[in-house]
Formats: sequence, structure tokens, C-alpha cells
Amino acid sequence: MSAGVNGATLVRPALAGRVGALEEFNASACMNCGVCTAVCPMGIEVLPRRLFRYVLLGMEDQVLEQIESIYSCLLCKMCEVNCPAGVHIAENVRSLRHHINRTVFGL
Amino acid sequence: MNDQIVTGSDPGAGADAGGRRIGVYVCQCGGNISDYVSVDDVVAAVKDEPGVVVARTAMFTCSDATQQEIINDIQDQGLDGIVVASCSPKLHTFTFREMSKRAGLNPYEYTQVNIREQCSWTHTDDKAGATGKAARLVRAGIARTSLTEPLEPIVVETVPNVVVIGGGIAGMRAALGLAEIGLAVFLVEKEAELGGWAAGFAEMYPHGRDGRDLVTRLEERIRRHPGITVFTDAEVVGKSGSFGKYEVGIQVGREQAEAPAPKTQPPGTPKPEISRPGMPQLGTPEPGAITVKAGSIVVATGFDSYEPQEGEFGYGLDGVLTLPEFKRLVDSSDGPLAYGGRPVRTIVYIYCVGSRQAEGNEYCSRYCCTAAIHSSLQVATRDAAPVSRYHLYRDIRSYGRYEPLYNESREKGDLYLRFPDEEPPVVAQASSGDGGGATTAKDGDAGHGYRLTVTTRDLLTDGAELLIPADLVVLVTGMVPRENDDLVKVLKLPVGNDGFFNEIHPKLRPVETVVDGVFICGACQGPKNSTEAVASGLAAVTQSASILKRGYAELDPLIAVVDPDTCEWCGLCLEACPYEAPRRVEQDQEAAGGADQEGVDHRGADADHRGADTDHRKMVAVIDRVACKGCGGCVPVCPRNAIDLLGYTDAQMRAMIDGLLQEPTPCRM
Repeated sequence: MSAGVNGATLVRPALAGRVGALEEFNASACMNCGVCTAVCPMGIEVLPRRLFRYVLLGMEDQVLEQIESIYSCLLCKMCEVNCPAGVHIAENVRSLRHHINRTVFGL
Repeated sequence: MNDQIVTGSDPGAGADAGGRRIGVYVCQCGGNISDYVSVDDVVAAVKDEPGVVVARTAMFTCSDATQQEIINDIQDQGLDGIVVASCSPKLHTFTFREMSKRAGLNPYEYTQVNIREQCSWTHTDDKAGATGKAARLVRAGIARTSLTEPLEPIVVETVPNVVVIGGGIAGMRAALGLAEIGLAVFLVEKEAELGGWAAGFAEMYPHGRDGRDLVTRLEERIRRHPGITVFTDAEVVGKSGSFGKYEVGIQVGREQAEAPAPKTQPPGTPKPEISRPGMPQLGTPEPGAITVKAGSIVVATGFDSYEPQEGEFGYGLDGVLTLPEFKRLVDSSDGPLAYGGRPVRTIVYIYCVGSRQAEGNEYCSRYCCTAAIHSSLQVATRDAAPVSRYHLYRDIRSYGRYEPLYNESREKGDLYLRFPDEEPPVVAQASSGDGGGATTAKDGDAGHGYRLTVTTRDLLTDGAELLIPADLVVLVTGMVPRENDDLVKVLKLPVGNDGFFNEIHPKLRPVETVVDGVFICGACQGPKNSTEAVASGLAAVTQSASILKRGYAELDPLIAVVDPDTCEWCGLCLEACPYEAPRRVEQDQEAAGGADQEGVDHRGADADHRGADTDHRKMVAVIDRVACKGCGGCVPVCPRNAIDLLGYTDAQMRAMIDGLLQEPTPCRM
């Protein structure tokens, strides 16, 4: 198989950098345990860990498909206080909203 | 505890077993045995066997309390033989041998019968059958015991010298450890310099110390120590003699090493007196072949790094590096990472290259996950501009104290992508249009042409197929055994299926080999990081010290003996022996042949077979009592049936078969 065929998604490392400085957007520490999903009072459809991986891998189209979920979050931080890897989940969502506000809604 | 005691009331019970007084102990193993074997029925079935004066069961025969009861029986009842029917002899042979010694009974008068692994556990569906089989096995054990004779360990004098083969970090540390406890050490290194792999590494985990400094400091101490003689550009080319005082041939100097070296010196050639305990030779040895005496040999020949096939994960493309190549690149400067004159913006690591293969190297190489993560962190903190680090892995094994390193790397932005075993990543040369050449301006990488692309599936992102443009692809290569065929032949080293050297027991005897006095340590026995390699090197130090410091060692006397009256040297035993233990001698010299092992205590069954026929000048075999391992390989090939194995004599084996063939006992369970 040669690279680039079969519709493989191009990884763009710069997206994570634009969403927030790497130290603040710290989703790479995630270990995929799923506690965040289990404790979410909103039962948000997209798993936070999946959303953040889209960001880290620069899969912008997949991120933008989740705008509904991203803005449904209450920022209650239930997930964040329960995260065993210390990921700033709610803060990451805020960073994402900030990015979308600027790039999509022109705010 | 004493569930049932049957004491032979008839004092003449032992008469038809040569007057033996045997105690039989059938273990319940807390139900492991007694749930499936009716131990009371077994005792009832064997209590009247010839020679049996005590037969009883116990909840746990190996417990201190039961051992003490057996000791009391031995002393009060005057027992001269013991049968313990419990678990595998691998577990408790030494337990009950020691118990026998404490009771004043010769330890070789005790027989272990396995009614757990080979009976109760295997026949959980057939209690009557298991009970009958246990009774037969115990009868066989009693029959063997009725023919045991007291044996004494073979005592071998040992020379307080050690040859350490391999001057990497494990061998160096072992050499120093041996010298520090007062043994004379000959450190033999094939390369021109000591240090091995560690000498080529800069910062090493977990302490962040420089490998080159570690090796330099170790070498300074080695060179300063009067007890260590270092041979570089040297190889071990021969080993003769027997355990305790091997004669090790060392070829010093490359040119000579390439010439066919004699395995041993021709007879009569004076051997250089290199080895004088306490007065080892100093300075650089002259090139040539020398022989040193050694009580033990420590093998620390290390590993090779896996060399990928051309094209394996793109190996051969510019920018695809193995882990050692990448480490050299990282160590070559303190500044931002550059390759081929250009800054490195993206690194893709592919794990388990050459390890955990479905076919080939099945083992995990242990060190590579942590080493790659450690290098990645080094790179991460050097450059002001971000370096994207993608780790394509199957499982991360940053075990033990290295887990925090893995956590730190994830916190610092290393991204871990898990690929499916059946669909490994594909590495290719970048071309414009697939993310190579130049990426879009909006990513801020304008003008940065990537050399390579990696296509992979990430199981942690819905199994999405991803295309990663990369400057460098690091193949996280594992360890492979070093090619050492000549040394394997010289030392008769046991080699495992994976090509690494085999210890006797990975947990309980981790540095000993089946060759007495030959120890293995470091990565030559399997993948290890430097910490583990040094730890095993020091284990080899203590094992060497345990046989060399007191000046003698004891060997199991369960060896082959030849009846010189029956033997008419044909040489078949020598052909069958893996240890070259049989020697051809004139019959009237056979006593001298055996006695030239200084300190050897003769208790062999052949001791009283020699007649006064001094005219008789026939050739016979004599078994070297130190070289013999008691494997029994020579016994069946002898056409005159002149060989017996002490502890497993033909008479004992026949008696055991008779015991096994008796009618089974009824089971009331």
C-alpha cells in the first residue's frame, strides 16, 4: 500500500498548537479509561477522549462535526475532577470553543 | 496432624528387605492430594510392605511440625530409610534431604514419590484410580528405598580465580565485584575497548547519568584493582580440565585469533603461570595464546540490536533509523534535533520491531519501550519549536519504576497511537500530494518538506486510518542474541529456542547453567536493561563466591560408576556422554584414575570390586566423578551392562517396576 491512498486522514500536528498551547491542552495524557464518559451528567454523545484525539491528530473536519456536543457541555468539571490522568477536560473544551468561535463563527 | 499412625508391631517386618527400617509419609497437601487420593487407603496398602516400620499420613509433610515428627521417628524408631509421598521432587527434595541430615540419616536414604502433580492433580475424575496409582507409586518408592545406600557428596577443590567473558557493563561490574571479595579475575573482551553498549550511550534512564561516564569510572576502578587482569582484543578459545579448576585458553590479539587456535596446549607444553591466586599479572598481556586456571567462568557476552530487513517498516529509506542509530543522533548534540542538515519537526516511533513477532523473535525485548520514551523526552525538551512525537505501538511495557516516564511523556504531548497486530504501519517515501513535500500554509509548516509518510490505523481513534508526514521514523528495535557459536562450543553453553543462553531455573537459579561453575549474566541470557544486567552480574559474583571462597564445592554423588571387572572398554559410553566423563584407563590404574581428583571421597559402588589380578592388563572405562552429571545416558548403551547409576541402580529400577506392578489397593473413598 502506498501512502495517501484509501482516504487516510492527514495528520496535521499544528491544530493542537493552534487550539491552545500544548501545556494547557493536555489531552495527550489521556489513558482512554472512559471515566469522563461515565460521570457526564449530559450524556454527551461524542466521547471527550475521542474528541481530543481528533484535535491532537489535527482531524479538523471530525472536530467540526461535533460542534453541537462541544457547546452542550455544562463545564461542570465532573469529568475533570474524576480524571485519573489529570486531563483538564473542561478547560480543553473551553479552548476548543474559543478556537471555533474565532475560526468558524468569526467572533 | 497425626491422622493415622501405623507402627509395625512385628519387629521382624523388615527381615525380607535386608533388615531395612523404612518410614513412609503420605501427604494430604491440605486437600490437594487427599481430595482425590484416599491417603488412608494408601497407607493401609503399603504398611506391610517389606521393611516398612512406620507409615502415616500428614496434612502438610513439608511443615516444620511434621518434619520434626519424622525426625523423631528416625531417631526413636531407628529408621534407615524414608519415603515421602507428596509433590514433585523439584519442590522439596532439598527440604527432606536437609531434614534427613538433621535427624542423622544420610540424605540419599530418602526417596521422594510424586503423588500430586503426577497423580491427584491429573486424575481428579477418578478417585479409585488415583488411589490405586498412588499406592503403586509409593510401593515403588519403598522398593527403591530398600536398596539405597548412604552416599557422600563429591568434594571438589576450587581455584579462587574467575574468567569473566565480556567487558560490557554486566561483565565489568561482575569483574569488579569478584575482585572486591578477593578473587583473582581475568576479564576477556573481544573488542579493543571495555564498555560494550553502555559506553556508546549518553544520558541513560532512570537516573539521567551518562553511560560513557559510568563506564569510564568503572574502567578506572577495574584498571586500578590489582586483582583484575584485563585482556582486550581477546577471546576465550578453549576450556579443559574439570569443575573447580578449569583451564581456560585465551587468545589475545586479533591476528592470532583468526588463525586456528589449538583447543588445548599440546601435552608437555609448559603453561604460562598466569594464575597465581593473590598475585595476578599486571600490565598488558602480550599477544598470543595463554591458559589460565579458573574455578568459575562468568559469561556476559551481551546482545546485538535487531537489524531490520531491507524494506521492513521502510528500513533503508533516508530518515528511517533503528533505535541505536536514533540514540546516537540524539546523543551527538545538545541542541535542537536535526537530520540531514534540516531541523526535525515530526518523529514517528514504531514499536516492537524485531520483538513479539508471530514467527521469529517471539519474546519482548523489555528495554525498548522505556528507551524510546526516554529518548523522545530528551528530544521534546530541547527545541523551542514544537517537535511532534507520534508513538505507534502494540502495547507499552514501561514496567515497574519506568511507568512515571511514560506518564511524563504523555503529559508533555507525546501522542500514542495503537495499531492492530494484523495491520502494521506502512512507511513510504514522501511525494507531493500526500502530505509530503510541503504541507498547507495554514498548518504553519509552510516550506517544511517531509521525507517520509507513515500510514497507520489508530485503534484509539475509532480505528481511523491516518497519514502522518514525518522527518524521522524510528524503528524501536529489540535485542537479539549475539552470534557466539565458537564460545558455545568451547563452553558447551545451553542455548534456548530463542538463541539466548539458558539458566537452570529462571526464578530460583537465574545465573547458573547446567555446566558446573559456568555462570551467565546480563543480556546474553535474554533481554535486559542495564540495571537488570548489572544485577544479574552481581548474582553471578555471589554464585561464584559461594563455590570459590571456601576452597571447595560439593556435587551430587548421583553419578555413573563402572564395574571394572565387567567392562571391556568399547568406548560406547564415551560416545553417549555429553560431558566426556568416561576415560579409558588400564584396569589396575583405574583406582588411580579415580583418585586424581584431589579431595574426592570414594564411596562409589565400584570401590570393592577390584581383585588382586595385577597381571590383568585390560583397558576399562572410569567415569570422571566431577564431569559426570548423572544423566544416565551411558547406562543403557553399555553392551556388557557394566555401568550403574548411583541412586538409580538397575536393581533399584527393577525393584520399583515390581512395586508398580503389584495389584492396586481398593479405594474406600
